[in-house]
Amino acid sequence: MAGLEIISDQGYRIDGRRSSELRKVCARMGVFTQADGSAYIEQGNTKALATVYGPHEVRKGRGKIQHDRAVVNCQFSMATFSTGERKSRPKGDRRSQEMSMHLRQTFEAVIVTELFPRSQIDIYVQILQADGGNYCACVNAATLAVIDAGIPMKDYVCACTAGFIQDSPLLDISYVEESAGAPFLTVAMMPKSEQIVLLEMNSRLHADNMEKVLDLATQGCKDVFAVLDRHVRDHVSESHALMTAS
Amino acid sequence: MQRYYSVGSNMAATDETSALLRSFECEQNLLSRPDGSANVRQGDTSVLAAVYGPGEVKMSEEIIDKATLKVIFKPKIGLPGCAEKLQERLLRNTCESVVLAVLHPRSGVNIVLQVIQDSGSLLSCCINAACMALVDSAVPMKCLVSAVTCAVMEEGRIVLDPDSKQEKESSAVLTFAFDSRENNVVTCSTKGCYTPEKYQECLSACGAASRNISSFFRQAVERRMSKEL
Amino acid sequence: MAADFKTAQPVEYYRRFLKEDVRPDGRELGEIRHTTLNIGSITTAEGSALVKLGNTTVICGIKAELCNPTAEEPKKGFVVPNVDLPPLCSPRFRPGPPSEQAQVVSQLMADIIENSGVVALEDLCIVEGKLCWVLYCDMMCLDYDGNVVDTCVISLLAALKNVLLPEVTVNEETGSPVTDVEKKLPLNIRKCPVATTFGVFDDHYLFTDPTNEEECLATGVLTVVTTEDNKICCMHKPGGTALSESRLQDCINRALTRAEEVRKLIDETINSVER
Repeated sequence: MAGLEIISDQGYRIDGRRSSELRKVCARMGVFTQADGSAYIEQGNTKALATVYGPHEVRKGRGKIQHDRAVVNCQFSMATFSTGERKSRPKGDRRSQEMSMHLRQTFEAVIVTELFPRSQIDIYVQILQADGGNYCACVNAATLAVIDAGIPMKDYVCACTAGFIQDSPLLDISYVEESAGAPFLTVAMMPKSEQIVLLEMNSRLHADNMEKVLDLATQGCKDVFAVLDRHVRDHVSESHALMTAS
Repeated sequence: MQRYYSVGSNMAATDETSALLRSFECEQNLLSRPDGSANVRQGDTSVLAAVYGPGEVKMSEEIIDKATLKVIFKPKIGLPGCAEKLQERLLRNTCESVVLAVLHPRSGVNIVLQVIQDSGSLLSCCINAACMALVDSAVPMKCLVSAVTCAVMEEGRIVLDPDSKQEKESSAVLTFAFDSRENNVVTCSTKGCYTPEKYQECLSACGAASRNISSFFRQAVERRMSKEL
Repeated sequence: MAADFKTAQPVEYYRRFLKEDVRPDGRELGEIRHTTLNIGSITTAEGSALVKLGNTTVICGIKAELCNPTAEEPKKGFVVPNVDLPPLCSPRFRPGPPSEQAQVVSQLMADIIENSGVVALEDLCIVEGKLCWVLYCDMMCLDYDGNVVDTCVISLLAALKNVLLPEVTVNEETGSPVTDVEKKLPLNIRKCPVATTFGVFDDHYLFTDPTNEEECLATGVLTVVTTEDNKICCMHKPGGTALSESRLQDCINRALTRAEEVRKLIDETINSVER
């Protein structure tokens, strides 16, 4: 890693965080009126928006109807102005398709789809500004949006990344750290039951280090959960206060 | 099949502004396959319109209490793009406001407009052609619609029915479509910058000219009916 | 009770309100929803703005790229607007290729940029015939509650005023462009177009700034775009109810006062952000 020092001698990262520190998480629920559920999340400089429609009747392609559960339809897209270089195709390219598929798999696992047979739930996520951890921001935003829509879930689903750079595990890595070429794990998990919903790793990591990194990522997910849960509780008590006041 | 052909060169007498219109020609019922067709020529600008319907409509486009109107705008060269979509919507909404669509629920009326030659005032020529083709197809209509384009030249002079050279030299080009009953503005589309005063001036000039066009439409239909009967 | 009446007889529901010169959301006929503006929130874009007009939300991000000018117009750069109405913003839009409405609004934006001359394309030229800027103005609707045209125009104008372009020089030896990230210059905004949309109900009532519901029930719409020198740069009335000359004049007058308010709002917001 010549030229670019990811961790300084004092143990601080480029943006001044410690190795096991999350970026600042800012979240808002119920931001839009047209959607059944919506949420906006900022994780550091990564900004994501999620809206949920449904459950409603299955549109387009009656063949997709499932008689015992709801179909979850996810669409991921990145705004053309979200990255340093302009993206010419905001959606529909291979990366976005892969991301949409991962999101669908994640939410099919946590939403109690059996309650809504023969119907469909749409989850649309939009990255407004990308700075690493796009998948995590999307999952966290979508979780809040699904909660806002009042769709029953088995548990929250929280996502976090952890990398292994300069022989030490790093939590919630940013774009600069991502592009340093070091291995990193993306984990989505249900924090209460501690079940992993999605686990993805790229590049090469020694098996001995795997546990360390995974532990850190798991801890990160739990930290994210603590933040999200507080937001949800605040939001609910706020709306409750508004309702009783009027 | 019989073709009907009318020339509006004698329109000039009634009003002084209309003397500035280019020669206006209209030919109806010139295609055999569509239910109605018309070719309108304003000077060198020529547009061919064909109307199919009321007929079947795609399930997804069906409207339960009225007919679905669809306009297909074919430019002279090249494939239709974003600009043509805007034109199509403008033309469709214009036709929708005069066609009595409620009389044909769950059916479709397709209007195809083929540009043959564009020498300025294309939009008004398209609206006029669509109107005459609708009349020819005998789709029930509330009233006629007639469109006039005008150009505001750099020095402030207003030119009615400009050709492409005048359009290029002008500071603004305005197109208005009027209904034939109360002569109110159905459609308006403009290009370039102009003052509100100039706008009113253009509007009244075009309004006066449109009366001539709609009376010409009426004459053309009358003449044709008298021959047919 | 009122909700049932609205569902069963939406037109009659509106008629009852409009008879009393008020709209179901409490606005008067000529009243425009509260407008809020957030400028420069997207740091990856050269310029950005988020606009909320009532519930309607549009975000505009502008990315600049270097390219070659065309041979016909070697002194001109490009401004490429694009409006996206994703399925995210309303249940009426389906996933897939851009809807007709998205294409129509995109084209309207292109026309407004061209007609008003908000940015002189000559300003975007760096080396004649060799190098120029292309500004991609992507407007995305995040929440669709009617009157997306007005919202897009405000977001576009605010984002253009927020654009900072790095200074570009051409390396004499290699002929390749060198950008000086330290020295950033704002864009020269020549005109400030602002749009005002009107809806016609029952061929009689004229109201400003229609919501999604009002747009669906309206028998006609009209958009007037004016610049600060009190000129009209776009008057778009795609069919619908026919209007008399005097009513059109009323619309123009209302549009002129509205445009003044919006320009004040944009300037105030920019000043509060920068200083």
